[in-house]
Formats: sequence, C-alpha cells, structure tokens
Amino acid sequence: MRASHATAFREGAVAAAPQLLGVVPWGLVTGVAMSSAGLSVPQAVAMGLLIFAGAAQLAVLPLFVAQAPLWLMLLTVGVVNLRYVIYSAGLAPHFQHLPHGWRALLSYVTVDGTFALFVGRYPPGDRTPDRHWFFLGGSLAMWCTWQASSWAGIYAGALIPKSWSLEFAGTLGLIALLRPVLFDRAALWGSLAAAAAALAAAGLPLKLGLLVGIAAGTATGLAFAFHSRRASPG
Amino acid sequence: MIAWALIAGGGAVTFALRAAFVLPGSRLRLPRGVEAILRYAPAAVLMAIIAPDMFLVSDALALSAHNPRLVGGLVGFTVAAATRDMVLPIALGMLALTLARLYA
Repeated sequence: MRASHATAFREGAVAAAPQLLGVVPWGLVTGVAMSSAGLSVPQAVAMGLLIFAGAAQLAVLPLFVAQAPLWLMLLTVGVVNLRYVIYSAGLAPHFQHLPHGWRALLSYVTVDGTFALFVGRYPPGDRTPDRHWFFLGGSLAMWCTWQASSWAGIYAGALIPKSWSLEFAGTLGLIALLRPVLFDRAALWGSLAAAAAALAAAGLPLKLGLLVGIAAGTATGLAFAFHSRRASPG
Repeated sequence: MIAWALIAGGGAVTFALRAAFVLPGSRLRLPRGVEAILRYAPAAVLMAIIAPDMFLVSDALALSAHNPRLVGGLVGFTVAAATRDMVLPIALGMLALTLARLYA
C-alpha cells in the first residue's frame, strides 16, 4: 500500500464515520431477528458474512420461520437486493481498470451508504487514481461495524425468551426501511397493491402469496409511473 | 439443512447482484424499462412481507387489539411516517407489541 493509497483508504473510513452509529442498531436488530427465527449462532454469523445485506436478511426470516420453499426465499433475497444491480452499473466504470480480485472484493462490500458517498464524491467520468481505496476504506468501516453489532445481536437474541416475539423487531425494521423505497406516489400505490394482494393470496400453499404480492405491487407501481409520465406536461 | 442452503444460496444471489456490472467490467447501461422494474419491486416485496406478518394470525385476518403484531406494526408505521427516524419505529413498535401482548 503506497502512502496515497493509505490516505485515500483513511479518507473513505472517515467519510463513512457519521453513518457508523446508524449501522449499529440495524446490526443489532438483524442479529436478534436471526437468533429469534431459530438460526444457530454459527448459522446466523455465516448469514451475516455471506449475505451481508440487512434488509434482505430481515425480509427472508419470516419466510424461513414459515418453512417457505428454498427457491422462494432466494427469490426474496434477490428482489430485496435488486438495487445492488443499479449500484453495480454505477460503479463499474470506476473499477473496470482493476484486477478481478479487486472487483470481486469491492462488489462484496458494496452497501447503500458507501455507494451514496462514493458517487457523491466521484461523478461519472472521474479518473482519480486512488478512488477504489476510498471506496474500500468506507466499505470496510461499515462492514466491521455491521458484523460486530450483528454478532452482539445474535448473542443477545439467543438469550431472550421466545415469548417476547423479538423476531417482530425484524418486521418493524422493514417498516422503517420502507421510507426510502417509497420515493414517489407510484411506489406508494405499488406497495399498497402488494399488501392487498399478499393478504388476499395468503391462503396459497408454500407462501406463494408473497409472489402474488410482488407481481401485483411491481406491476401497479410501473403502471402508475407510466401513467403519470404520460400525464405530466412536456 | 435448509438454513445452510439459504445462507449459501442467499450469499451467492446477493454477490451476483452486487457484481453484475462491476465484475465483468461492462460499460453496458441498464435499459430504462429494466431500471424501472428494479426501482418498484423492492417496495412491493417489503410490503408483501410486512402485511401478512401484521394482519394475519394462522392465515386468517386478525383485525383487533388482541393481535399484538397488528398493534406493534401500526405504531411502527405511525412513528416511521412521523419522524423519519430509522430506530424509533422498532423501539416503540416493540413496546406497543409487548403492552398489547400483556394487557390487551
């Protein structure tokens, strides 16, 4: 690591610092929810290390408890994490000169907060040579904070009695996460349609009502977005 | 066993999405239609998970104060809408759920 690398790495970590405090409760809640859902400590730790995406982990746990089929759980993880494809498209031009190992590492550590930091600091076309070190510094600060708080939650969750319904903290976490994804009126209508369809189809076997809800909600959101774009002047 | 499959498979799915453009080093841009789907699907899946967890008890609608999850969820929604805070909805929602569980 050259001095300029260390500088960029440190700048990334410092830039991420204000977000770290906000990461702690999420890690805790995700950890508690994993334990309450019945994952063993090694399983919960492995889930945090391999998936490393709080919203997707929180979203899949109610399905795991309900013994939904594996493909539906993986689909849920995928849909909740679809935003990462958008991030990946935005980051790709910045990292394409790097070796594959670097690109794999930077992909793995990508999270919402550091993506936002990075694109705010380096607009498309920026050629600052050490910008991948900045990204790594910020991302690793987030990664360490999230893993550590998640482990604390896993151990706390394993000690708390089942009757406290602590796994519902995960669902409440999803409610708090709704705000950023309800970015316009179309998304709001889409989410309401998803709720109605998921409730109406709840009697379907294998938790397939979830699939009905996703399809109905996404179609409704797209329909409203398309309609309002056509209706708006210009 | 299914837990480990979920953990490994979920890790693979998530990595594939994060690496979709970065790893191939592609200069391709997402088509607008695809990007629109990527934008509206997350709100749909989150609500499709939240709603049954709040409103249903053993697959039947349970719209009363005797359903602690409904009480906790409604408090969570109200606090999330009112405060923009990410942690308060969880804390107050769990408090409401606990009170409903013990006293309703």
